[in-house]
Amino acid sequence: MSGTPAPRPPFVVTPGPHLRTSESTAGIMWWVNAALLPTTAWGVWVFGPPALEVILGAVAGAVGAEALANRLMKQRLTVKNGSAVCTGLLLALTLPPLVPWWAALIGGVFAILFGKMIFGGLGYNLFNPAMIGRAFMMASFPVAMTIGWSIPRAWYSRLEAITTATPLGVMREHDLQAALHLIGGPEGWFRLLIGLRPGSIGEVSVVLILLGALVLLARGIIRLYAPLGVFFGLALMTSFSGAAWLHMLSGGVWLAAFFMATDYVTAPVTRPGQLVFGVLIGLLTGLIRMWGGYPEGICFAILIANAMVPALDLWFRPGRVQTAGAPS
Amino acid sequence: MSHRETRGVQLFDLLTLGRGPSHPGPRKEATAGRPIEALPPPAEVVLPLVQHLGDPAVPVVKKGELVRRGQKIAEAAGSGVPLHATINGKVKSIDKQAHPTLVQAQAIVLTSVAEAEATELEFPEDPAWRALGSEEMLARIREAGIVGLGGAAFPTFRKLRLPPGVTVDTLIINGAECEPYLTSDYRLMLAEPRAIVEGARLLARIVGVQRILIGVESDKRDAASALEVAAGEIAADGLDLQVRVVPARYPQGAEKQLVTALTGRVIPPRALPYAVHVVVQNVATAAAVHDAVRFRRPLLDRVVTVTGPGVVQPRNVRAPIGTLLADLVRFCGGLTDQATRVISGGPMMGRALPRLDVPLVKGMNGLVLLTGRGPFEEGYGPCIQCGRCLDACPLGLEPNQVSVRVEAGRATESAEFGALECYECGACAYVCPSQRPLVQFLQVAKSALRKQRENLAAVTR
Repeated sequence: MSGTPAPRPPFVVTPGPHLRTSESTAGIMWWVNAALLPTTAWGVWVFGPPALEVILGAVAGAVGAEALANRLMKQRLTVKNGSAVCTGLLLALTLPPLVPWWAALIGGVFAILFGKMIFGGLGYNLFNPAMIGRAFMMASFPVAMTIGWSIPRAWYSRLEAITTATPLGVMREHDLQAALHLIGGPEGWFRLLIGLRPGSIGEVSVVLILLGALVLLARGIIRLYAPLGVFFGLALMTSFSGAAWLHMLSGGVWLAAFFMATDYVTAPVTRPGQLVFGVLIGLLTGLIRMWGGYPEGICFAILIANAMVPALDLWFRPGRVQTAGAPS
Repeated sequence: MSHRETRGVQLFDLLTLGRGPSHPGPRKEATAGRPIEALPPPAEVVLPLVQHLGDPAVPVVKKGELVRRGQKIAEAAGSGVPLHATINGKVKSIDKQAHPTLVQAQAIVLTSVAEAEATELEFPEDPAWRALGSEEMLARIREAGIVGLGGAAFPTFRKLRLPPGVTVDTLIINGAECEPYLTSDYRLMLAEPRAIVEGARLLARIVGVQRILIGVESDKRDAASALEVAAGEIAADGLDLQVRVVPARYPQGAEKQLVTALTGRVIPPRALPYAVHVVVQNVATAAAVHDAVRFRRPLLDRVVTVTGPGVVQPRNVRAPIGTLLADLVRFCGGLTDQATRVISGGPMMGRALPRLDVPLVKGMNGLVLLTGRGPFEEGYGPCIQCGRCLDACPLGLEPNQVSVRVEAGRATESAEFGALECYECGACAYVCPSQRPLVQFLQVAKSALRKQRENLAAVTR
């Protein structure tokens, strides 16, 4: 071509669109992990070294199992995308602080292998892997999973952590008065908010869970439909018990509502579907807590609701009909 | 702004601190402030005989012949349009040349000659231009070689000749220009609002409508004002012309979106705007129609945005059709060291070119030079059902569902998720955090479904 500079081949030819968002699946997962940090740190602070052991055990189990499965399944190594860390961390945050670390590790391995990889890996699993891991541990280590609770801030004042029961456990075994006594009387709601109560490692501090959730909301990573559904469903179910507020502020509701009911893979994809999914979790949780065999029901509530997701996705589809974009 | 959700749902979304999923922003800063600059006549132009949807033009010049800018060098054939010399020059060859969309195609190559040898044809105004009949106007539009300049390159005279049984009540002039980076239409609206408005009025008379709606995105309010001022200076003469600002959100400039935004009417799946009594033309096409009817001036130049991180000095350039892209890039300071990708058109719906020694064709509104290895550098991941594509799709389709079915080898089960309705705007693929090639999955599903339908028809026949 006369007079034109030699072009610099070869240019890269790829199909469109030629622009992509900078947001990535790994980025989202690591943001979720980061959002869990405040409540994780609080758990370690109030429950001490045993809690840290449980967290490290569960995360190591989950990450190790995923790497192993990647190799066996001849997949690309996927542990760097943060999703195995997320599963291990979420599992640990739902465990009693005095569970042995090796039990948490086994739970993490089970969560990844039987909660996720057996379905084909990230994106294909039907059930929340962390909750699969927890359900497995409740069946395999029933005693440790029932009595492994400790009194917050006990760890630095004494050598041995003091075992205790959770407010929901006490309410189940005795009555509301006993539960109130455990958290320091009717004014105990404040201790529930900041997280000075016995409970699972990452579930106790409502304020810090909310802080992490706000980060995810602000980044557009999660929506409010499922969490609001959970709170609505649980409030509805427990509203006649006289202890609705204790139900709302205790147990794993906040952690589950913002970090498990919002899991992309195991929750419905449309807004109405997410709302119904959340309500379902809330109702089932209340049902199990009041009439079921466990003081806390959110783990099984999530797993049952997970099973409903394919149906919810078919029932609640995006609207195909357009409305006019109003000209200004 | 969401195209399909109810107001109540939008209000509820505000609770998520008002941040929806990511979305291709306009990215027009580099060239939005730059007026159109004319490219000096290039030393050589390559004029493919096909730059439109339709039959190739037939050359009426011979090798070695001297031609003047504006002279017809190939005659229209069948459903096509003719071709004109865009520089004063000598016919160097008539043979196969590289083509931006057809890879290779017959083209007339002209090398420029000194002004002493040949001068540009003059196109004086036809004093009776406002009073022409619609057949005469259509003939002039075809004779001028005009095709849709917004990118589709469909011969304009064919779009204006309404099929039997079609009634039209509204003409829409598309000034939305929603593709990121591109500003050629924007600068044209600022530079020649009068020609656009006059062109729109001529188009309205051709299709026999009173109502003209010009749609401009809200990030180009000054262009809308310029058009409004121009419209105010021309006697209404029975035509109702309104300039309307529509929300700036990709793909607002897609026909389906703009028609709905301006009229509230929804074009049915796979139908043309005729179905809702509308004809849509691009602003640059309207200006070209004005030139063709008023001056009998053929389409010789077009405005093209040369931009992106891969070019040194992004500009809006008015260049002769047939200018080699390398010449355009050189006019804009050349490539940066990082330039790795050449996109013809906009970065969302345009196509990547392997080379720069191809000509500017009539439908090319942008030349975007990008860096990096492109979207599939690191491959793509599984669908995590995050739902971002559902929010991004302007039609409310389900790219997630289609893509997992295609992956599972069940492409023909994807009809109910909208595979056949997709017009491939790419908004879903843009937002996908797993970098999934959703447009390509939809294409696979579409062809599988079409094939299935053909087979079914063959069996039942």
